[in-house]
Amino acid sequence: MGAKITAIEYVFPNRKITNDDLVKQFPDYDFSRFEEKVGIKNRYWVDNDETALSLAKSACNKLFKRIDKKSIDYILYCTQSPEYFLPTTACILQNELGLRNNIGALDFNLGCSGYTYGLSLAKGLLNDTNVKNILLVTSETYSKYIHPMDKSNLAIFGDAATATLISFCEDDNFGDFLYGTDGSGFDKLIVKNGAGKHKFYAEEELKQYGNDNMFTDNNLYMNGPDVFNFTLSVIPDFTLQLLEKNKIALENIDQVIFHQANKFMLNQLRKKIKINQDKFYIDIEDGGNTVSNTLPIALKKYSNSKKTNNIENIILVGFGVGLSWSGGLVKISEKL
Amino acid sequence: MKKQDFILGLVEEMELETPITLDTNIKNIDEWDSMNAMILIGFVSDNFGVTLTSNDLEKISTIESIIEIIGIEKFE
Repeated sequence: MGAKITAIEYVFPNRKITNDDLVKQFPDYDFSRFEEKVGIKNRYWVDNDETALSLAKSACNKLFKRIDKKSIDYILYCTQSPEYFLPTTACILQNELGLRNNIGALDFNLGCSGYTYGLSLAKGLLNDTNVKNILLVTSETYSKYIHPMDKSNLAIFGDAATATLISFCEDDNFGDFLYGTDGSGFDKLIVKNGAGKHKFYAEEELKQYGNDNMFTDNNLYMNGPDVFNFTLSVIPDFTLQLLEKNKIALENIDQVIFHQANKFMLNQLRKKIKINQDKFYIDIEDGGNTVSNTLPIALKKYSNSKKTNNIENIILVGFGVGLSWSGGLVKISEKL
Repeated sequence: MKKQDFILGLVEEMELETPITLDTNIKNIDEWDSMNAMILIGFVSDNFGVTLTSNDLEKISTIESIIEIIGIEKFE
């Protein structure tokens, strides 16, 4: 009894923001150097009338052009941009996609570690004999949280949604997964106001961080250096543990795909773990850091670049807000 | 590492056009920004296995002060 990633689709919003567009807003900042180091050329932002749910629907409907939506038995919806406090966005998605009523649907709130969490949850659910096809959806619109004068976060983050079909199959294509959590870093990447602890406050004071980035507690805040340090100190060992858990040597891994956060940081991690460049995925130019969406987008792009249908071992690792990290081994053969 | 090599390394990694010495306050040079803070963290981590936290970054001023945080014993 096993699980298999059958298909992946993704969408970006229509509004493309290039680095040249950002230069017009922030003329004093060297975006060519940002592009060279961080590796992002453009990102996409939703318009005011779009939400993570509308993006998620587009990604799912793209997937339903080639798979039968009546086959879906379960929706796992990963987002930190829910449509409402309640109800569960996955329930709205069930209705708007026209899926069956006798299916499971739930949201889970994770950021950059969300996709690998979703895959392992799907793997567990497939042990339930009534569940054969799981729709794992990631969708995020951080652009709505970022202050219009927060140059750094505007440059890094982009909006996107993905839909992955995970299906029951006889041979197992999912290896072991591992998880990590350190809630002491909860305030390293946070939107403070608007939920249970602090109400949204329209008159909130304007604060500054880093070099001339402005934000208020109603907005997304990221302590870049500390998130970077967390990643450098935790992810290399975690990746080695993941290989050990799966009883596989790095040389037998065809591709290591990490959450596409920032090219500079990815290369630091790559060098620390001593992974060859040709086995390490970096493609963040088009879209930027789209939180839980980067892994499925990268996995789809990588599978489409495969020349043959050989079975390949892929290591996936997500890390970030929480602080939370997770990873696992999956086998893929065909284009997704 | 020699202190002078540390300075040369920083100039190269951070692509500095402004000349710097041990007494230069890194935060006063034109090129100091969050990206160069990230590059500094990476450079120090690679070469000394030391993590510069956001608190360290707040405290630093001169190149000498960065050397003190890394640990003077790691320099010749």
